[in-house]
Amino acid sequence: MVARPLRILFLFLLASLLGGASTRAQEQIEAPPFALPEAIQQFLADYCVTCHGPKKQKGERRLDGLSLPVEDHETLLTVQEIIDVLTLGDMPPEEAKVRPPESAVPDIIAHLTQLASAGHERLVSTGGESVLRRLNRREYLNTIGDLFDLNMTMFDPTMSFPRDQTSEHMDNIGDALRTSGHLLAQYLDAADHVVEKALGATRPPPEQTWHFNDNFAQQPELRYAHTRVHDNQFMVLYEGAESVRHEGGYGPILAFAAGVPADGYYEIRVKAEALNRVHPYDPKIFHSDPAQPFRLGIVPGQALVGPLHEPQPIQPQLGEVVVNDGPPAWYTFRVWLDRGFTPRFTFPNGALSIRDTYGKVLRLYNDQFPAEVRDTQGIVQLRAVVMRHGFLPQLRLHEIAIRGPLDALWPTASQQRILGDHACDLPGIRKTLTTFATRAYRRPVQSDEVDRLMQVVTTRIAAGHSPAQALMDGIKAALCSPAFLYLVEPVDAAAPSRELDAYALASRLSYFLWSSMPDEALFAAAADGSLLEPAVLAQHTRRLLASSRADTFVHSFTDAWLNLRNLGDMAPDRSTFPDYYARNLEQSMKQETRLFTRDLLDRNESIIRFLDADYTFANRDLAQLYDQPDAIPGAAAHQFHRLNFPDPRRGGLLGQASVLTVSANGVETSPVTRGVWLLENILGSPPAPPPDDVPAIDPDIRGAKSIREILIKHRDTPACFECHRKIDPPGFALESFDPIGRWRTHYRKNVPIETEGELFNGTAFTDVVGLKRLLLERKDQFAHMFVDRLMTYACGRRMEAIDRAAIDAILHSTAASDYPLADLVAQVALSQPFRTN
Amino acid sequence: MKAPTPEMNRRFFLRTTGLTLALPLLESLTPRALGNGLALGAQPGNAIAATRPRRMVCVGNMLGFYQPEFFPTQTGRNYALPSLLQPLAPHQNDFTLFSGLDHGIKGGHFAIHSFLSGIRSMDAKSMPEGNISVDQRAAETIGGATRFSSLTLGSQEGLHGGCMMCWTRSGTRVPPISTPKELFRKLFASDNSSDIARSSDQFDLKSSILDAVHGDAKSLTRQLGNRDREKLDEYFTSLRDVEKQIALRRQWAHVPKPPAGIPEPKNTNFVSDLPVLYDLIALALQTDSTRIATLEIGGDFVGGPLGISRDYHSLSHHGQAQDNIDDLLKLEHYQMVQFARFLDKLKSIQDGDRSLLDHTQVLFGSGMGNANAHTNSNLPIILAGGGFPHGEHRAYPTEGYDRVPLSNLYLTMLQQFGVETDRFSVSSGTLRGFGSV
Repeated sequence: MVARPLRILFLFLLASLLGGASTRAQEQIEAPPFALPEAIQQFLADYCVTCHGPKKQKGERRLDGLSLPVEDHETLLTVQEIIDVLTLGDMPPEEAKVRPPESAVPDIIAHLTQLASAGHERLVSTGGESVLRRLNRREYLNTIGDLFDLNMTMFDPTMSFPRDQTSEHMDNIGDALRTSGHLLAQYLDAADHVVEKALGATRPPPEQTWHFNDNFAQQPELRYAHTRVHDNQFMVLYEGAESVRHEGGYGPILAFAAGVPADGYYEIRVKAEALNRVHPYDPKIFHSDPAQPFRLGIVPGQALVGPLHEPQPIQPQLGEVVVNDGPPAWYTFRVWLDRGFTPRFTFPNGALSIRDTYGKVLRLYNDQFPAEVRDTQGIVQLRAVVMRHGFLPQLRLHEIAIRGPLDALWPTASQQRILGDHACDLPGIRKTLTTFATRAYRRPVQSDEVDRLMQVVTTRIAAGHSPAQALMDGIKAALCSPAFLYLVEPVDAAAPSRELDAYALASRLSYFLWSSMPDEALFAAAADGSLLEPAVLAQHTRRLLASSRADTFVHSFTDAWLNLRNLGDMAPDRSTFPDYYARNLEQSMKQETRLFTRDLLDRNESIIRFLDADYTFANRDLAQLYDQPDAIPGAAAHQFHRLNFPDPRRGGLLGQASVLTVSANGVETSPVTRGVWLLENILGSPPAPPPDDVPAIDPDIRGAKSIREILIKHRDTPACFECHRKIDPPGFALESFDPIGRWRTHYRKNVPIETEGELFNGTAFTDVVGLKRLLLERKDQFAHMFVDRLMTYACGRRMEAIDRAAIDAILHSTAASDYPLADLVAQVALSQPFRTN
Repeated sequence: MKAPTPEMNRRFFLRTTGLTLALPLLESLTPRALGNGLALGAQPGNAIAATRPRRMVCVGNMLGFYQPEFFPTQTGRNYALPSLLQPLAPHQNDFTLFSGLDHGIKGGHFAIHSFLSGIRSMDAKSMPEGNISVDQRAAETIGGATRFSSLTLGSQEGLHGGCMMCWTRSGTRVPPISTPKELFRKLFASDNSSDIARSSDQFDLKSSILDAVHGDAKSLTRQLGNRDREKLDEYFTSLRDVEKQIALRRQWAHVPKPPAGIPEPKNTNFVSDLPVLYDLIALALQTDSTRIATLEIGGDFVGGPLGISRDYHSLSHHGQAQDNIDDLLKLEHYQMVQFARFLDKLKSIQDGDRSLLDHTQVLFGSGMGNANAHTNSNLPIILAGGGFPHGEHRAYPTEGYDRVPLSNLYLTMLQQFGVETDRFSVSSGTLRGFGSV
């Protein structure tokens, strides 16, 4: 859904970009801005002020003194209210004696809307300046990892941080991000955790081994059956991670519940066996894909947090192997584990929910079971019977050997990085803190700042703590300083150009492309000032982009621009879309869009590919969703391959499941939602929100009507049609895709889907293919929106009228080559808004 | 009054649906049972208060209630209860139902966060008290008399951010505690003496750090432009807030936490844990750990545990389809049942010479009016307990001049709570025709 608190309708932008002629009946009249307030005041005087003026103030509203153009919130709210009541036809009321001519009303609404949007821009404007921007959660996390050389795989000191405030879906906008007492209290706690973890180890951890080959109790639900059927001689995994009841989806070594004794890399060797990939049952019972060889995964778990056989908040995938059919074989993993974490085994492409299958299997294949068990009832007995006599697809782990930590560094990487080899006396501590704070504050530290850190140190020593501990406490203080928490861009009062100094520029570039602090090379370029030279800046930009660390740019940018951050918020209905869960589609579809974007970046390919392309990147599960079931063979099921599309229906963002899912609500699709998504994120011209009193139209999914027929009202009412003629048609074209992005030609009850429509300027299309072709003709508009989004993300502030020139310059210089992505990023980094405050 | 015995302690037990505490036992939580010198209603070191303190609980959900089954057609006393109010039948004289009240705000999901404040967060800057919520306004007057000035519980997230009910004067949302285990530990997990010493040392460290970073912030201010300085003000305000927090916690560090009397609950899911959260609220009030609590029923309230597979938000857009309405009502009915159970609980707990319910104002409702149409007008509002005369359905005008701000009710609540003020948010006065005996 569009999250627009106030109306923003870029009528002029749209009109000027369209350029071409349009039929008068459908086009808004472009009135020159300076005439608007007078036309409106006249209208109000003629038709409104009698009841809402000096003599009478009906409904406590008075409109004769309305000060236009809009310069304050009160007026903005009043103007919006007038827009609403005129649109709905609520005003003038039925009994009004003087009424405006019907033809005049749409124009007045258009004028008012424009005043409202200009007023809104004025009110939220930051004058084209970035406002002091604090690190958001993910930036804080990455920075801690880099600052301390800490492995952050399963360490998240930001877990309890309040959610970041977003603006236009971006989570790095300076004036939107807020600091509160709650957050600062969290920063204090986080600093404590981080420093104690990074620097607190007092002796090197010895390498140890653990070996398990028996007594594989896993969880209460399986205890009875596993004891009876195979006496817990091996661990058995049955299902994937997305089941609701979790039986055999996460296999912990309960004897190792306390986990490893120290942070480090561990070798985990497993003797594993894949059983019954080929089985006599209907694969639909398990919702798994029989052509895929089984995969065995490892995730970490902590007994303190909750039951080890259930999902936990922190469980990144640590490793995955393919287990081929045949006798048990050894597989080796090398994974990082933090102290207190224990490895848990998973079966990513296992059944959806094994608990539901026991009864089904016995019932449907009853005669394949021995006579004496055919009438078994009750889940406890059913499990045992089907496990013993049936052929459930499963992974068996016969033996597990763990060794580590491997080649542990001593002192640890973090200790070496931070503590160096200064003596632990006051002068030595001062040197250590000076070096640390310079890195943490991302610019040379000032002596008064070091003084304040030393004050913390001396206070702690006076309270009886060791110098080593006092040093650690000083470091904690630095992590709570605004110099660390904010991207500070000092203002040089003497320099009117407001150019960023080299250090601020290095930070901006680094957080743009790596969401983290500058690395040594970038920092060095800031220190000698060379970063201020365009050639050097360009070179570092390319360097950062080329690194795999730029993946975080791809992830965060697509999360914001396409709203993929909210993928899964309106989770698809489990009973209608079991594959979404059984095949881990949510994970895969997000990955697809990220890989697609990363590939454009790597090949410096045109962003037009977002509008239409004849390929994507998919694994086998996604390929099946896209009606190419055999394009990717079972053996390579989990890898992402380039998938070519034989016809133009797929291809581009409009055919990607991530986009189609996030613009639906998990149960059904809505042409309005998808239409708005397209207008907002492809064309950059979001429509105004509907008046608040419009009754919501809930599509009737049981009936014989199509959504098109139900939304007929959008067309019949002129005031509604104004916006909906722009919104609905693209949405209807996208009705060809169901709520998780599968192609369909009919709704339930064989109601055919009608996808034809017209864009706002009258150009027609018959389906999504035609829509894409028309969008390609608007590629300059798309590019404009895209660069606006890029600049917003890069500069940490909303773009305003004052930035138009810079955006246009980037567009002009890349139009000829069709706007290649890497070039756009490079140009953004070199642009004036990026290099100034 | 019996002294606590092992048998009585055994009678505190946790069932899967929540705690069960028998009525007469609770009166026996004497100062001795609660630990060294701490009694209900006392400041650390002070004598027990003669009169019981006032409490306030506010409960809200994200998607409102199906209006035809929530609002009675009759007004006044002894009105016929529609289906959603049936669970409250035994308490019909303990609560007042209001219709026609709201904050005059629009925005659908983007306005529900104004439920307890009357102001949308985007408009907060232009208000003298920001968009402070009624519970936080009351919490400002607690001044360390209880360990926690207020407890905010419930779903952290949800559609478009969720309920987001509680806001401080400086415009920040108070993040809720969302699980029984976490709440239990906060209320009852005690520190032993070495922990207390460690805590004290930690407070010292934090204070020391705050001093240092305060200096950094002052130094930074000189280098910034105007807009950035305004932003940095947030940091200064945050520093002050944390310093106050630390001072309070220092004060309370030496006061042992009350005994829970029940084992630590396990977390299951928000729906099944809802009664446990209510029970912990009752326990928190009863042990004077806090006098103000809020509960947000937000994004993690899902239909799964109640056997409903469709998405709650989808169902709230029922489009008048009967099967959607039926499922929606099941979700809402459960919330009403749990609320009724909470009122039962409060009524059964002795608090001085009255029941805990008599001393606790319980507000129940939502910032969403009609979810199907995304309106924030005519909000569902129930006020129970607190010593007010109850039993009525009070209907206020839904249109025209005579509309009454919901903030008027909140002002009445604040005054009843003991806050000396004559305005709250956009109130025009206290709620006419409704007041204490």
